[in-house]
Amino acid sequence: MANSLKLHFKKAGFFTSIQDFGRFGQQDIGIPVSGAMDKESMQIANYLVGNDDSTPVIEITLLGPEIEIEGEGQIAFAGAQFSGKLNNQALPLFQTIDVKTGDTITLKGTATGCRIYMAIGGKMDEPIWLGSYSAPSDYVKHAGMVSHISDGYELTCTTHKKVDSRTIAPNKQPIYTSCTILRVVTGPDFDRFELASIQEFFEKTFTISSDSNRMGYRLNEALKQYKANSEEISSGVIPGTVQVTGSGKPIILTADAQTTGGYPRIANVVTEDIDLVGQMKPGDELRFMLVSLEDLY
Amino acid sequence: MKIQPYGDSALLVTFEKKIDPEISRQVIGLQKALKDHAGITYSIPAYQSLTLGFNSTYLNYNGLEKLIQETFEKLNFETTEVGRKITIPVCYQGDFAPDLSEVANITGLSTQQVIALHTSKEYHVYMLGFLAGFAYMGTLAEALKSPRKETPRLKIHEGAVGLAGLQTGIYPAEAPGGWQIIGTTPLKMFDPEKEKPNFIEAGDTIKFRSISEDEYKIIKLKIDTDIFQPEITNG
Repeated sequence: MANSLKLHFKKAGFFTSIQDFGRFGQQDIGIPVSGAMDKESMQIANYLVGNDDSTPVIEITLLGPEIEIEGEGQIAFAGAQFSGKLNNQALPLFQTIDVKTGDTITLKGTATGCRIYMAIGGKMDEPIWLGSYSAPSDYVKHAGMVSHISDGYELTCTTHKKVDSRTIAPNKQPIYTSCTILRVVTGPDFDRFELASIQEFFEKTFTISSDSNRMGYRLNEALKQYKANSEEISSGVIPGTVQVTGSGKPIILTADAQTTGGYPRIANVVTEDIDLVGQMKPGDELRFMLVSLEDLY
Repeated sequence: MKIQPYGDSALLVTFEKKIDPEISRQVIGLQKALKDHAGITYSIPAYQSLTLGFNSTYLNYNGLEKLIQETFEKLNFETTEVGRKITIPVCYQGDFAPDLSEVANITGLSTQQVIALHTSKEYHVYMLGFLAGFAYMGTLAEALKSPRKETPRLKIHEGAVGLAGLQTGIYPAEAPGGWQIIGTTPLKMFDPEKEKPNFIEAGDTIKFRSISEDEYKIIKLKIDTDIFQPEITNG
């Protein structure tokens, strides 16, 4: 059909999944929020192909997929500066791309940043569950939903009318570095930490552990002075919460995090900076900067 | 009751630091009264706390704080609707109960005594978490207190009924975990195909009933053909 576009994932890449803004309002029954790790890049990709902000996109992590196109339509990429190929040419990022049957897109890696978003002009023919196209965890098996795209996956989209080519000028594109400063406000359990741990938390440069994923970013360094209290009662946790585990190592919870947890919550990343977490990769450096809620409003 | 900011778009209400059904009823009463209010984006009731997310175009921190206080004062816990009473059939035999003898060893009880104690009490559902639809229930008889397994299992089967400390819970899906598994229910605790996927909700009261392997199979058959009638009464 002329108005459909099929993506054949010859290779899926490291971790490629379908994401939108996520599934709010279900945390009371234990369902995580999910959704794109970098929502700003997701929205830019959607803008470039004339989609609504909330249209689901393909989230690509660290090592990209190889995709063969069937049909005709428009796609766009926004996010980390991945290198890639469209047939034999360099793949253009941050602009509308017209594609047709036989085109092949290959995304390699990225020097800075962690994730790039692929938008397709139109609507994905994929299942929606409780208001979101975002893949739930492996432990929720909803008909037709996959936690991530695997080799050989076929994704069909119903395309809409093409838009005039759109571009984000290089000076307007986000820049990611291998050292990020995240703004945080004090977490609900901040007062349970001793001064030495609080000082260490804000003075230390942390590095991202290779054990990080969409549920949470683990940090390699421990707060040396921290002594865990065994009498913790589980309470709600939300994306952006920074917990300190028994060993003193902090974890930043992200989109797919569980809804409750028992570790003390020292800080919360401000909403605007949560997208930056999604662009950090293992080995990257990170520091926390304390701000007040009054500074934000 | 203490109300404090939780990040820049949520708020945490904390009650007395104690695992107690009375405190839990206050948490759940407040959650039910507020969860559908304009501007509240999500709620997470837990043992003695309630997380409330808000959309800053409708509500601000001070406005929501006032709303919580006013709502809480108006709640009448004598007449507030309490949760449902649900009986959950559990098979405590053979492969359905891989850790039953270990729990008997730890507690110094016979396997029959473990089953008798587990089915003798009504349990309050404090919260759902860990996995979609996983209900944390308590409080177990002190005699049943068992630590989590030293090495968690990589896979625990769907429907597994477990113990950890003084809590009991049911695995809604296959998942890794360290709870001691003493039985299995044929009921589907979480069905993503349903509009309301979770069978149990926070605030419900649960009682377990021991069933034979044959009854387990019959109930499973009824569930698969959609003719099973769960034992639920409104409390």
